[in-house]
Amino acid sequence: MRLNEDPAAFEAFYRRHVDAVMKFVVRRVSDPHLAADLTADIFLAALDSAHTYVPGRGSEIAWLYGVARNVVSAQHRRAAREARATGRLAGRRLMDDDDLARMEERIDAERQMRSALEAMRGLPEGERAVLELVAIDQLTVAEAAAALGVRQVTARVRLHRARRALEHVASPPPVYVEGQA
Amino acid sequence: MSNFEERLLSALTEEIATRKAENGMTTTTTPVRRGSRRRLVGLSAALAGVAAAATAVVTLTGLTSSPAYAVTKASDGAVSVQIHEFSDPEGLEAELAQAGVKAVVDYLPQGQTCKDPRGSAGTASGRFGASIRRSGDGIAFTIEEGQVPAGETLVLTVSKSEDGADRPPFATSLQVVKGAVAACVPTSMPVPGDGGAGANFEDDGGAGFHTKTEGKDQGPSLSTGTE
Repeated sequence: MRLNEDPAAFEAFYRRHVDAVMKFVVRRVSDPHLAADLTADIFLAALDSAHTYVPGRGSEIAWLYGVARNVVSAQHRRAAREARATGRLAGRRLMDDDDLARMEERIDAERQMRSALEAMRGLPEGERAVLELVAIDQLTVAEAAAALGVRQVTARVRLHRARRALEHVASPPPVYVEGQA
Repeated sequence: MSNFEERLLSALTEEIATRKAENGMTTTTTPVRRGSRRRLVGLSAALAGVAAAATAVVTLTGLTSSPAYAVTKASDGAVSVQIHEFSDPEGLEAELAQAGVKAVVDYLPQGQTCKDPRGSAGTASGRFGASIRRSGDGIAFTIEEGQVPAGETLVLTVSKSEDGADRPPFATSLQVVKGAVAACVPTSMPVPGDGGAGANFEDDGGAGFHTKTEGKDQGPSLSTGTE
């Protein structure tokens, strides 16, 4: 894919997926400014990793969700550690009041998904990742496997374990532990 | 589409233009050959000049944020590896093993590498090529199906940047070894420009280092190949 070289190809790609990416983000963060930043970060990361996507090897959205996951989980790790660097493309600076209101609506609409994600916090990382993409982001198991860079059979096994583990969880684990994402 | 989305698209399109311009100015991962006698075949690795990259790409650093590494297996068997942070080599080895590639990964401090040779050259080295690309602050490479057959091992050695494990590496080397792989014995790397002639190691046709410095604002560039 010549995403990072061909502005027209990038624009088409962007328009196909910007809505899905924003949805992905607001399922995971509830701060509208951060959501805007992460949306920008994900597309920047997609530009960085454009060479890793080969058309025909799995779906575009699976690849992009793989990128998105990396960006969002890195954000969790870094959140407490550092103030955002200056000079980067900060999504929040691109929002006006209307955008902010609409971002808040998006965040509101995904409240249930965020609490579902919260309930998965206690699962082992590998299993949780598959369950997230399948149950929350509605990817197929094959797409989730592609997004995570694991084999389909691995994804299927992890999904099965995750679902079984959730059945045994009486209540969601209380705290998200920094550094485990 | 709303204002935010449109503005973001414009900003990103600008970013593409900026990157294109910057890529035109720097060639940080071009393997350099010394002399015509030696032919670089098989797995060749390119070494990025970090000092140069740090100044040329200063506006781009910090854009990417992701876990230490990602291993992706495509349906045609090719395995893509992206390393963003040079930590947890065992984890990367495990991920690669899961993708069907036996690997030995060593991360060393800046200026150090493992003593060569690590073992005998792999059989596929004459027929396949893979090169290390820069990817954000890290590196990326792809191993095609069959490039690391059963009984052979991919050996990745990275000399980290002194600025941290998530910074562009000082040097990298990728090779395929047949049979047993010798444990890493850390040793100082040849320093480009040292002694004027640069360093050029040969080990009975095993892996060799070629180093060269291009211009004064270009960092060291080093490539290793197996003949």
